[in-house]
Amino acid sequence: MKAFIGLINGMISGATPILLAALGGVFTYYAGVFNIAMEGMMLVGAFFAVLGSYFLGSWLWGIGLAIFGSLALALIFILFAVGLKTDEFVTGIALNLFALGITTYLLRQIFKVKGVFSNPGIIPIPAIKIPLIENIPVLGKILSGQNLMVYIAILITWLSYFLIFRTRFGLRLRAAGYNAARLDSSGVSSAWMRVWSLLICGVFCGLAGAFLSLGYVNLFAENMSAGRGWISLAAIILVNGHPLGVALISLLFGFSDGLGLLLQGYQAPAQFTAMVPYLATLIALYFYAVRAKEKRIR
Amino acid sequence: MNSQRVLNGVVGVLIALIIGAIIMLVQGYNPILTYQALFQYSLFGWYPFATTLKNAVPLVLSGLSAAMAFASGVVNLGQPGQLVMGALLATIGGLYLDLPPELMIPGLALLAMIGGVLWAGVAALLRQWFEMSEFIVTLMLNMIADYFTVWAITYPFKDASAYSPMTPQINPKGWLPLIGDFNTTIFFMIGAVVVMWFFFNRWKAGYEWRITGQNSLFARLGGCDIQKNFMGVMLLTGALAGLAGGLVVMAGPHRFIKGLGANYAWDGVMIAIVANNGLIATFLYGVFFSAIQTGALGMELITDVPSEIAQVLQAILVLVIVASREYLNATLEKVAARRRARIRQT
Repeated sequence: MKAFIGLINGMISGATPILLAALGGVFTYYAGVFNIAMEGMMLVGAFFAVLGSYFLGSWLWGIGLAIFGSLALALIFILFAVGLKTDEFVTGIALNLFALGITTYLLRQIFKVKGVFSNPGIIPIPAIKIPLIENIPVLGKILSGQNLMVYIAILITWLSYFLIFRTRFGLRLRAAGYNAARLDSSGVSSAWMRVWSLLICGVFCGLAGAFLSLGYVNLFAENMSAGRGWISLAAIILVNGHPLGVALISLLFGFSDGLGLLLQGYQAPAQFTAMVPYLATLIALYFYAVRAKEKRIR
Repeated sequence: MNSQRVLNGVVGVLIALIIGAIIMLVQGYNPILTYQALFQYSLFGWYPFATTLKNAVPLVLSGLSAAMAFASGVVNLGQPGQLVMGALLATIGGLYLDLPPELMIPGLALLAMIGGVLWAGVAALLRQWFEMSEFIVTLMLNMIADYFTVWAITYPFKDASAYSPMTPQINPKGWLPLIGDFNTTIFFMIGAVVVMWFFFNRWKAGYEWRITGQNSLFARLGGCDIQKNFMGVMLLTGALAGLAGGLVVMAGPHRFIKGLGANYAWDGVMIAIVANNGLIATFLYGVFFSAIQTGALGMELITDVPSEIAQVLQAILVLVIVASREYLNATLEKVAARRRARIRQT
């Protein structure tokens, strides 16, 4: 039972950063931006979260700075991809490498360390205990006591669904991706919709980064996003951008993350258990490809 | 057209260096002294220049790999994985083979290419059989290759006397010899650039690949076998990335150390993008990026600026050069369109 609860909790905390980043990517997906900078935005967010939490002494500041840092990256993306019309793929790749470079540089410059910065002065995002529910056997240990960011992620999932499918903003957003010229001719600037989608993506990726460095673990490590941005991109593609589908897929990846941790308990080499989420992505892509092929034949 | 490209590159580099200088000024460093140190340790003098060229090898080779793939319309982003797999296979060969150097060195280079080909082949086959997009597949395979090679040097091939994960040194007969200050690894690089240029610009297969990259429908109607060409591009670019890994082992530490792949392959991808997939441009930018990286290490010795600034400089370079190129092209197009309109009026 204990292993089961551990697996479920591992799944939830593994899924949260992927879900948050993917939800940000969902907005850009609908707006027709080929955004692959989630990886970099998350990494910068994670770094600034530690910066805020350590120097300003509160996890709230951490989250605030994380959003700020990630937004700064989103603004660069906007400047190049929307403003100067640079290729989005190129901008994304360069930004990811820029994020890696700047965080490594600042880690050395500000904290005077290489590789990893961990310190008891970094204040983590607290876990939330829900009264009454926490007393339910088994379920209580899953529903209550999760990190605050987990609940925020659930909230954001519904919010994204509502925003994209039930509001005028969402309609325009989807129109920008579906047929930008039509949207422009109806008097709404598609470029501005792309800008908004990127800003939203920046905020969500900042939250994802903050969870990585102040919730999932309590430290900053070089390149700690470790491909999660790419996995979230895969999650978006697999369900064609539907927020609820993204949530499901994220849980699946979270499960493989938790499974890896569990397997490590059974003496499997850490390197192989760490591969599990990436293998899971490949398997998911396989099923997606097969389904897409069947659809085309029909 | 050509002079415009050169102008664009030079202007882009200058703007990027100025932005870098501003960043240094904000942090309270002297940019002129910093740049002086940077280039003093990478370009001025035989030994610094030789080191820059040697360090350029993995950048240029993975850059060639990315450039050829992109120019052919194949999104092979698997260079990091192919590079470490090539390095691993070359290392294993170097540990167990014992041949005279003139057979050993080409043999190990071949093994490195096979390693890259095998890993790229996985992605190519997944696309061929199941139509899985090579873009995300190669990215995932990168992570898997990374963990796999770490496992290989931590358990089966670990140097028993070492404290951190690394293999023992390979047979000295597989070490690339020095000529003066210059490591012979640079001949592989120059050879690869020349051969690939001829292949890409003068041979039929290269022509087919380029046309497929520009307009795959046209290529198909013209009678190119798209499937076969895709396979060829993946395998050849995989071989180039694998060779990069093998040469790093044979020229440098002579063993597979944890973190050997570093950022070479991603830098290579960036270089290909900056070079707009041109092969000669890839070579030139590769050497330039290598100069920045090599010089940064020396710069750290005599100034307070951390060498990590090189990574920041590189990313700025990429963004500025690419953006100014596209901006310039758009502006020129606008001017041309306006001129056409004026001619039509008269």
